[in-house]
Amino acid sequence: MALLRTENLSFVYGEGTPFKVKALDNVNIEIEKGQITALIGHTGSGKSTLVQHLNGLLKPAYGKIYLDGKDIHSSKEFTLDVRFKVGLCFQYPEYQLFETTVYKDIAFGPTNMGLSTADVDKRVRDAAKLVGISDAMLESHPFDLSGGEKRRVAIAGVISMEPDVLILDEPTSGLDPQGRENILSLIRDYRDKTGKTVVLVSHSMDDVAKIADKVIVMNEAKVISQGSVDEIFENAKALYDIGLSVPQITQVFIKLKELGYPVSEKVYTVDQAFSELQRILKGGYADAT
Amino acid sequence: MLHDITIGQYFPLNSKVHKLDPRVKLFYTLVYIIMVFVCNNFVALFMTLLSVILLTIFSKIPFKTIFKSLKPIVLIILITSLLQIIYVKSGIVLIDWWKIKITSGGLLQALFMTIRVSLLIVMSSLFTYTTSPTAMTNGLDRLFAPLTKIGIDFNVVTMIMTIALRFIPTLIDEVDKIMSAQKSRGANFESGSLMKRTKMLIPLFVPLLFNSIKRAYDLAYAMTCRCYNGGKGRTTMNALKLRLSDYIMLVLSIAFIAGVILLNKYCGEYNAEFTFGITL
Repeated sequence: MALLRTENLSFVYGEGTPFKVKALDNVNIEIEKGQITALIGHTGSGKSTLVQHLNGLLKPAYGKIYLDGKDIHSSKEFTLDVRFKVGLCFQYPEYQLFETTVYKDIAFGPTNMGLSTADVDKRVRDAAKLVGISDAMLESHPFDLSGGEKRRVAIAGVISMEPDVLILDEPTSGLDPQGRENILSLIRDYRDKTGKTVVLVSHSMDDVAKIADKVIVMNEAKVISQGSVDEIFENAKALYDIGLSVPQITQVFIKLKELGYPVSEKVYTVDQAFSELQRILKGGYADAT
Repeated sequence: MLHDITIGQYFPLNSKVHKLDPRVKLFYTLVYIIMVFVCNNFVALFMTLLSVILLTIFSKIPFKTIFKSLKPIVLIILITSLLQIIYVKSGIVLIDWWKIKITSGGLLQALFMTIRVSLLIVMSSLFTYTTSPTAMTNGLDRLFAPLTKIGIDFNVVTMIMTIALRFIPTLIDEVDKIMSAQKSRGANFESGSLMKRTKMLIPLFVPLLFNSIKRAYDLAYAMTCRCYNGGKGRTTMNALKLRLSDYIMLVLSIAFIAGVILLNKYCGEYNAEFTFGITL
């Protein structure tokens, strides 16, 4: 059974005013335990609204959200509990840092959970290790760090609550390529080491292809399709129709095929591209021409 | 919660009132506010009420929206009305019970005050509903332009106003975002002791302040890049020019002043028994 599931979820911003916008329209999704699920879609497609429902920040206008089979709005206490069980890391999370040291900032969540000082300390250090923050850095001022480092501190602030589901809203936006790569491998390592569930909101098809197990595509407040990375990117046309695209490497292979080379289009990462090219070159393609 | 703020809200419509020169509208609003206080009898007050109703009809702004602007002051009106009813003792005694004596004078005085305060709010809301912030600052800028001759650059003041108004929604969004983010980390803004809740303001205001300063720097750089150096020698693309409708409005404003004064003079005495003092 899915760990996190929504049922006919709908939400409207500004209900009863002339400015009302439908942000979610009958959304049904399932997030499996231990998987990395990517949520892709345009700006304004409802991704961010959806993830804010998943940890109970927003209350749905219609529909239900189930965590482990239990409605997250079944009681007030449970809703507050869900905030810790489903850790949400917002877009540009570095803008939410406020403490005087990195350590204290990461400790904010666990402290709010009412844990003992020893437990908080353990969680802070575990989380810092997971995101690659050194002990020396823990004592520095968060505003003195670089953009990428701040981002990692902010993510650690959510991981330290040890949520069952970690949701990251555009964790790589605004970072340089090295920073992106760091964050992505951090997310994958986190999943591999802890076996926890991750939901990733992203604009970048390359990022999604690299680390996701499952993809959910959203457009204009609706879920268009959901499936494995292969299933989603196989259908490039459907993605182009709603203004999204496929990974750059896939675009290259689609072009190559159009030009008449006997390659498969089902190449979504650079590693896959490498083996695909090897296969063709070994297969004596050079002789054929 | 923060989205209920309606002060200074602009209601974009295409009406004659919207198109009036902001300076004329500002002038009329000021005249109106003064005249509401000058009114000392119900006939004059009724005329000011009628004029704002007419103006609302011309502005095409729904009456519902206008009434909404009164919402924040309902409590103030209720309390002051109650005080008037209890303490003003004149006219016929209607109820005499224990220590409370309600008189016709008190009731009328309360009604008078309620209408007067409501009119003030309605007129100023109507002004902001029909005047975009840009038009408003543009008008102020032109109105105070003569000050540059004595060395005061009023353009700087209007620029500050424009920027402040422009960033209100941005900051509201930002507060929302930071609150959600901290709530996701278990911050509780709604309950707990006063001490606890006060402490919770730190995770909200530190990032807000930090981001605002950062934003101010960015904006300053962007303005410098576009050669902003105060109002000196600056011209506007849409220069304000009084048109026929503006002149008509000015004439109407003066007619309005005359009307109130005349009604005060002739009806004030006639209705002497229930006009009372106009002291608030």
